Amino acid sequence: MNTLKKKIWTAYWLATAAMFAAAVAMVFAWTPTEATMGTVQKVFYLHMPVAINTFLACMVTFIASIGYLWQRRQVWDDLAASSAKVAVLLCSIVLLTGMIWGHSAWGQWWTWSPRLTFSLVLWLLYVAYLVIRPSIESRQRRALVSSVYGVVAFLDVPLVYLSVKLMPDIHPSSIALAPEMKLTLLSCFVPVTMLAAGLIAARFHLQRAETLSMQEADDPSLDVIPVRPAGGLT
Amino acid sequence: MTKVLRQIALVSGKDLRIEARSRQTLGLVVVLGVLIVVVLGLGLGPQQVASGMAATAVLWVAYLFGGVLCFEKTMAVERHDGALAGLMLAPIDRGVIYAGKLISNLALMVALALVVTPVAVVMFGFDLSASPFGFAAIMAGGFVGFAAVGTLFAAAVSSTRLQGGLLAMVVFPLSLPLVIASTQMMARLFGEGEPLGSVGLTVLIAFDAVYLVVSWLVFELILEP
Repeated sequence: MNTLKKKIWTAYWLATAAMFAAAVAMVFAWTPTEATMGTVQKVFYLHMPVAINTFLACMVTFIASIGYLWQRRQVWDDLAASSAKVAVLLCSIVLLTGMIWGHSAWGQWWTWSPRLTFSLVLWLLYVAYLVIRPSIESRQRRALVSSVYGVVAFLDVPLVYLSVKLMPDIHPSSIALAPEMKLTLLSCFVPVTMLAAGLIAARFHLQRAETLSMQEADDPSLDVIPVRPAGGLT
Repeated sequence: MTKVLRQIALVSGKDLRIEARSRQTLGLVVVLGVLIVVVLGLGLGPQQVASGMAATAVLWVAYLFGGVLCFEKTMAVERHDGALAGLMLAPIDRGVIYAGKLISNLALMVALALVVTPVAVVMFGFDLSASPFGFAAIMAGGFVGFAAVGTLFAAAVSSTRLQGGLLAMVVFPLSLPLVIASTQMMARLFGEGEPLGSVGLTVLIAFDAVYLVVSWLVFELILEP
């Protein structure tokens, strides 16, 4: 990595940290405390932006998986794997913050409410993605199986949403927020998104370096695999 | 059209003939299914068993594990003696191979269900009389979606090592929405006595359509001798 890249990178993380600090200050010092839930409600300012970013990270995996199936370039697989890792991390945060909220709102750490179930299934889907990858030895086979999985798993998400809607619900469906709360939510959304994007980029960089060093070890021509003609081996 | 149907019938007929003569898979999965029902029945104890509603969950566990074994076996047949290369050299579309495999898997799963379901119904005292056709429709919808994903990933995973655990690992999370939807619909149908609404069935049909179309599109990319 050259020095300019390094400087931009450092500036990016410093900006993210500064915005996080500002957002935390806003959450605790400026935003009014919610009437019924009290201080615990403040976990919501982390919960919702992270939930949205989980979805975005899953979408990156989906797009990268399609890219791999289409072009068969290893770089797509590296991107898919990196964003799936970040998606699992973010989804774990969503589950944990959601459980903290649930404990104070409903008095239980876990209820089988539709949205909790939805997050749990989403988490399981992408944990399985991470678990199956290392158990396939051939690099091309791994990339192929996981990109097919990446596509099907993302298409599974709306189906999970549809199916959990059949369950009885206690989650808030619409939330009325004071203007200050909306602004705070927005100010939390920016650093969380920057963190997610930065993590995916950092992970991708590492994964790329790993793949390239592995490829040098065996065959450099393995980066692009010619797509076989469909319909036969002729 | 009739040509394609004949080709599909040839592919699945071949699989089912092998199964009929060897009876390797079915014997295994049926016994496994019954064992799962018995183990869960013993584990749940008389109180939970008496409610009857546990039967749908127990049945799904038996179907999921039995199904994964069926998918593995129908694909493993092609791994011997380079059979898959021969199948791929045949002048048929890859989609036909997928459809043929899907039908053989569905046939095996229906055979499994025909034995395991009555066992669970009797052991758990599950009253099917409220809507036997509703039960069959929900299960059929679930099976098609499950077998669609299972057939696709059995082909994807079959050339790798660690097949057994791996296929279950891939297929179970993807099948969770089917399990959620069908158990919820069962709870409404038999627990609360609501009639089987068109909404629930539409959800299941939507699942099957998505799984079938995606699997059919992707199948030819992953088939490798």
